[in-house]
Amino acid sequence: MITLPLGFTQGKEYAELEWPIDLAIAVVWLAYSINFFMTMMRRKTSHIYVSNWFFLGMMVMITYLHVVNSLAIPVSLFKSYSVFSGVQDAMIQWWWGHNAVGFYLTAGFLGIMYYFIPKQANRPIFSYRLSVIHFWALMFGYVWLGAHHLQYTALPDWTGSLAAAVSLAMIIPSWGGAINGMMTLSGAWDKLRTDYVLRFLIMSLAFYAMSTFEGPVMSVKTVNALSHYTDWTIGHVHSGALGWVAMVAAGALYHMVERLWNTRMYSAKLVNTHFWMATIGTVIYITAMWVSGIMQGLMWRDYDAFGALTYTFAESVAAMHPYYVMRAIGGMVYWAGGAVMLYNVVMTIRTASARRGVSVATANA
Amino acid sequence: MTALIIVNSLREYFSTDWAAMTLHDWIGMIMTVSIFIIMLVAYVLVFHPKNKDRLEAQRYILFEDERIDDSEEKK
Repeated sequence: MITLPLGFTQGKEYAELEWPIDLAIAVVWLAYSINFFMTMMRRKTSHIYVSNWFFLGMMVMITYLHVVNSLAIPVSLFKSYSVFSGVQDAMIQWWWGHNAVGFYLTAGFLGIMYYFIPKQANRPIFSYRLSVIHFWALMFGYVWLGAHHLQYTALPDWTGSLAAAVSLAMIIPSWGGAINGMMTLSGAWDKLRTDYVLRFLIMSLAFYAMSTFEGPVMSVKTVNALSHYTDWTIGHVHSGALGWVAMVAAGALYHMVERLWNTRMYSAKLVNTHFWMATIGTVIYITAMWVSGIMQGLMWRDYDAFGALTYTFAESVAAMHPYYVMRAIGGMVYWAGGAVMLYNVVMTIRTASARRGVSVATANA
Repeated sequence: MTALIIVNSLREYFSTDWAAMTLHDWIGMIMTVSIFIIMLVAYVLVFHPKNKDRLEAQRYILFEDERIDDSEEKK
């Protein structure tokens, strides 16, 4: 927040921060990981539940990715140059870039999903065997996908094809995991009528399934030729970020607030309001970006009978305007939903604390 | 005739100049094939009927009483 506006950057997507901050991130991340590993070492049960496998996978892989992608030679306190150059640098950068999403925002949040859905639904996960396959397929598969961000570049053609092929294969474990989470409610679907926290968790899986289908489709060269560099990518990322990551996190937070303060939420209606604002906000946002992105792609590639481009770049920017208005509306609705959640959580904590104060006073009297 | 054309085109598509393989090519190929085999073994082990009860029993870990051993010295 300080160094980037000052212009200190490595120029790498999701890895912009300069080397001293990279070192600080590594120290913080390792402290967190060591604490987690040591807690695991002191466990009383022999088996490690699948959520913790996902967290362990996240910690190991993010350490590996962050360290390798950040390897750089410092020339001053806030300037360094990557040890990799040219196409190798791009390859390493997107090996990191895709897997920052794959191991932090996917594996980490799948760990959350595998814990909180059974807990909130008060039912065991549908299939433990499926969760094991989900984990190992994700661990082995995800690291191959980075090159699909570099289709039609100086990267060897086969690397993009391989990445696209593995991306398509990843639909199987991803959907296996999403179905596993959803089918946990098998025989108890009625819970969704009354349990608004569970709605967040299950809806997040719907967005997870959608995103993990869309991503592989976009990695295919034919589709990528249209979608790359357009707002379609932004739409895809936000269906994952808003629909999957933020919604599963909201569901988990509601669950934890109720457990930590040993109470029900201040207003179940506000949880439901938040749910619909988040869902509708996400849908407006990503739909606007899909339409804008496909329009951009089509405008950029269109040419007339003489082979000249039909549209200037500025014309494509002007055509995006209504979709950016829609995007702003969707984002605002989503943000307002977050404000509703904040109010509800604060009121829940205040009410629970006041009730506890009264109980203590009564006991003392 | 058509079958022969298909076989020939597949042979051409999958043909490899083994002599031109570099060390990195070999490392990459061995890793790819190894991971494929490991995944295959994982699928067989996980979905083999004899392992079903043992694995599915872990579903209930979350519902065992949550317990923190207070007797341990706090670090």
